[in-house]
Amino acid sequence: MFEQLVNGIFWDIALIVFFAGIAWRVLTVLRRRNHHDFSQPRNSGLIGAVMANIHGFFPRREVASRVRLQVIAGYMFHLGLFALLFFAAPHVTFIAKHITGFSWTAMPYWAFIVASEIAFAGLILLWVHRVLNPVTRLISRRSDHIATILVFVVMLTGCMALGESSAELKAFHRFTVELLMIYFPFSALMHAIMFVPSRTYSGAFFGRRGVNM
Amino acid sequence: MATVNNKKAARMRKAMYCCLLSLLFVLTVPLIPYAIDVHADDAAMSKTGQPPSLDDPAIDLWNEVRQRNGVSYGSSQTEGVDRGVLINSKGEDWRRFRMEMLLPYGAMFMAAVIGAIMLFYMFHGKTVLTEGRSGKKILRFTLNQRTAHWFTVGIFWLLGITGLILLYGRAVLIPLLGAEGFSVTASACKEMHNLIGPLFLLAVLAMMLLFIKDNFFKLVDLKWFAKGGGMFGVHASAGRFNAGEKTWFWLVMIFGTALCVTGLILDFSVFGQGRELMALAHVIHGISALLLISVSFGHIYLGTIGVEGTLESMTTGYVDTSWAKAHHDQWYEQVAASGEVIDPAQGDSKGSVSGPGVNPAASD
Repeated sequence: MFEQLVNGIFWDIALIVFFAGIAWRVLTVLRRRNHHDFSQPRNSGLIGAVMANIHGFFPRREVASRVRLQVIAGYMFHLGLFALLFFAAPHVTFIAKHITGFSWTAMPYWAFIVASEIAFAGLILLWVHRVLNPVTRLISRRSDHIATILVFVVMLTGCMALGESSAELKAFHRFTVELLMIYFPFSALMHAIMFVPSRTYSGAFFGRRGVNM
Repeated sequence: MATVNNKKAARMRKAMYCCLLSLLFVLTVPLIPYAIDVHADDAAMSKTGQPPSLDDPAIDLWNEVRQRNGVSYGSSQTEGVDRGVLINSKGEDWRRFRMEMLLPYGAMFMAAVIGAIMLFYMFHGKTVLTEGRSGKKILRFTLNQRTAHWFTVGIFWLLGITGLILLYGRAVLIPLLGAEGFSVTASACKEMHNLIGPLFLLAVLAMMLLFIKDNFFKLVDLKWFAKGGGMFGVHASAGRFNAGEKTWFWLVMIFGTALCVTGLILDFSVFGQGRELMALAHVIHGISALLLISVSFGHIYLGTIGVEGTLESMTTGYVDTSWAKAHHDQWYEQVAASGEVIDPAQGDSKGSVSGPGVNPAASD
């Protein structure tokens, strides 16, 4: 019964909410009308946008030594999760079967293990740091903690189902993924999609004024 | 006529006797070599006092296969570690050790530690700050140290709980979950334990790098032990870490390293390690884990409800100066002399207005 729900109607709902929610969020941002900037541009907005996108990947020199842990753990988690999400063999098979209709080369098992270790270490370090650092604790909202815990639970249930010895464990992992998909568009997890337009807009805005981001 | 009948009866009797003799012969003949062999063995045993060996090729074959006298390697067409071994008797030794020693004695040890802690708490109670809180603070653990500690805590308990389920689940969980329920739980725990396990190596390394500096034993630590750690009314002097904390640190380093090494041997069985090494690794892994889990109960007790004001050192990074004076007087004197005491009411002794929770030092 649970497996049928998870593999059937609940999956369909999660998929619709996920894509419709993302589309709604993106359209909401795009439809915001800004005042036309009549001032003489001091520099190219395009260059500002490109540079803001590139610079966003590196910490500012002034604070680099103070945010070393966040930067390293952040890269560990995001790269590890990206590799797991799109190149783990069970995920490639699943995406090809249920979403894209075509597949690509999955990473070998040893790479899967390494990616998992890196992603887990990064996520736990980031969350512990978020809770312990008085500044990040102060600026964190409940939704940030919910998103972190939900991602951790998804990764943990995926890890539990790794043996593929039990249909219940696979169904449980898929259920947590579906919960995450439903939560995704309405949370800070949207940064996974919005970080490029956000950096582009800010970079172009300040670039026109000659401010290097 | 009567004579003819008597002759017929006599022939029948002879025929019957012949048949019986033939049957007796057929049944007896195969037993003759056995009887001779037994007799010879009895004779040999009476001379040597040892049981005789049977020259039966099937028995010899079974003895070779069973390998009661140690592992011997044969040849095989297949490729792999231990490919020439059909039955390894030492596996039975390992199984018996696990079932008859590790499981019961491990459980007893854990229960004894919990019992001792409960008894201590009942008779001694919480160690309170007799001077009360001063309100002045000292930075005890930096953000990186606290992050490494809680990262280790998370990994340790994730591995500890899944490991205990794998070790005691058959006895404890099958009656509750049933065989099928436990098989799902065990499968999940095994995968989780194996995948998360290598992160403990990272945790132990981080703890070593960040805490080793102040954890070398000194003369004052002997005095601390002699005074029972100040638990029985006599003040025991200590530096930044007392002898109990240092012992815990080195236990984590030694047995944590043993856990990591043996865990990697068990987890990645693709580097040519055989069954005997794996069995040995499992024994060391189990003993180290049960020891660390048991001692960690004491660490948790002292860090939370056992001693007033200790937990905040690992949550906020700061401790009250009264706590520092009571438990780490030598460290307090050093810190006070260097002017690192923070008074939130007046700013710290250097004139800074920063305080606990926002002091940049806590973020380094």
